Amino acid sequence: MNAPDRYERFVVPEGMKKVNYERDMKIMNAATFTVQREDHTIGNIIRMQLHRDPNVLFSGYKLPHPLQYKVLIKIQTTSQSSPMQAYNQAINDLDKELDCLKESFVSKCRRNKTTIKE
Amino acid sequence: MAPTSALDMPDMPSGKLPPHLELQRTRVICAADAAAHTESIQYSGAYALSRIDNSLRLREFCDNFRVEVFSLNEDDIEFDMIGIDAAIANAFRRILIAEVPTMAIEKVFVANNTSVIQEEVLAHRLGLVPLKVDPRLFEYKSESDLANEKNTIVLKLDVVCSRQDGRIKNATVKSEQLQWLPNGSEYQIEKTSKTYTSFSCSQETLPALKDNPIASRYPDIILAKLRPGQCIELEAHAVKGMGKTHAKWSPVATARYRMLPEVALLENIRDSLAEELVEKCPVNVFDIEDLSRGRKKAVVARPRDCTLCRECVLGDGWDKRVQIRRVKEHFIFSVESTGALPPDVLFLESVKILEEKCQRLLVELS
Repeated sequence: MNAPDRYERFVVPEGMKKVNYERDMKIMNAATFTVQREDHTIGNIIRMQLHRDPNVLFSGYKLPHPLQYKVLIKIQTTSQSSPMQAYNQAINDLDKELDCLKESFVSKCRRNKTTIKE
Repeated sequence: MAPTSALDMPDMPSGKLPPHLELQRTRVICAADAAAHTESIQYSGAYALSRIDNSLRLREFCDNFRVEVFSLNEDDIEFDMIGIDAAIANAFRRILIAEVPTMAIEKVFVANNTSVIQEEVLAHRLGLVPLKVDPRLFEYKSESDLANEKNTIVLKLDVVCSRQDGRIKNATVKSEQLQWLPNGSEYQIEKTSKTYTSFSCSQETLPALKDNPIASRYPDIILAKLRPGQCIELEAHAVKGMGKTHAKWSPVATARYRMLPEVALLENIRDSLAEELVEKCPVNVFDIEDLSRGRKKAVVARPRDCTLCRECVLGDGWDKRVQIRRVKEHFIFSVESTGALPPDVLFLESVKILEEKCQRLLVELS
């Protein structure tokens, strides 16, 4: 049959870049990031993180088609920043927020488990 | 005269949003007909005209974020995450369902099957059986890889149904009859001396598997039904995979979240009205508090139980007395594990996967 292989949803094909950066030719400080083999999970979370940045004027994401396994993230920033800088900062911040989240979850779980044992 | 802005007027609160906007920002109002203010306001300049900065910095996030574990046992966890956005909660839910790996039966070698259940149906049923084994001990197996002790688990099922002393033995085949073969496959490939797996050592030598032999998480899953004289003889090979490929690899039965319900009494509700309100609620959210001189007052006792059925705001004038809301940044998260890993470990795995994704997005750009 002509069904696509199941692994095509998460394996980046050879010769294709995981993340591609493309500057917008018509708008200042605007760019599109194409992320291969990702979906709403990462698209929505990056969009949210970018919105919190005061230098970001616009950010949005879309899945062009359910059978094309990629997301497009569009960013426009003020002249104080650049899409690349905003993108890097958003992901770095997100990473640290997740660390903080993980720590508090682990400590609460440990406390809960010890109270159960007592 | 110098121009004055309305924002400089003395009655304008500074640095804080006016109460009605703050309510719209932090709560979803669940009115009788529809929910209002459902959006989460993330844009940093959303309140720029009121001179209020809506941006959220890392430090503020860490200061405001809180976790409360509500209940935790072998299979389920319910915990609250306070101070995160729906996007993060939803990312965890999506990762738990589709991207945390587990082991599941992928290939079935049928030596003999004289039962009424067809091989392909039986193989599908076997695939859905949850296995009690830590997937972190194993590696992914690609199509070209040889089956070895690091990527494959072999299980055997050999049942014959017979009549013994007027009783029928093995009439139902259950998942506890799946037998783990730590030394790999016992079937030989035709015309060779090799078997279908090439284990270099027994899986029992792994310290983590020595004390926990691999088996189905639940012993009483019915796989097939037999009549005397029928038999099933097969070997099932389990590999590592994730829910994205097939739901049998999903480590959770459900992973879900909801926003914390909040019930607000807009005025004091007393006496017969209080009794009516307690009567209205099917899940018993309200209590009656006795005041002096035989008077009564309604109080919200268990808002967490509220299902937002809106019975309390329906009826004459009740929407003026009671308001149901949801707290936007307070998520009640619950994870129900299928048994491969405990639920708290599953959640930590999902956090790790999200972190790895973030790292990859940074590293692969440069």
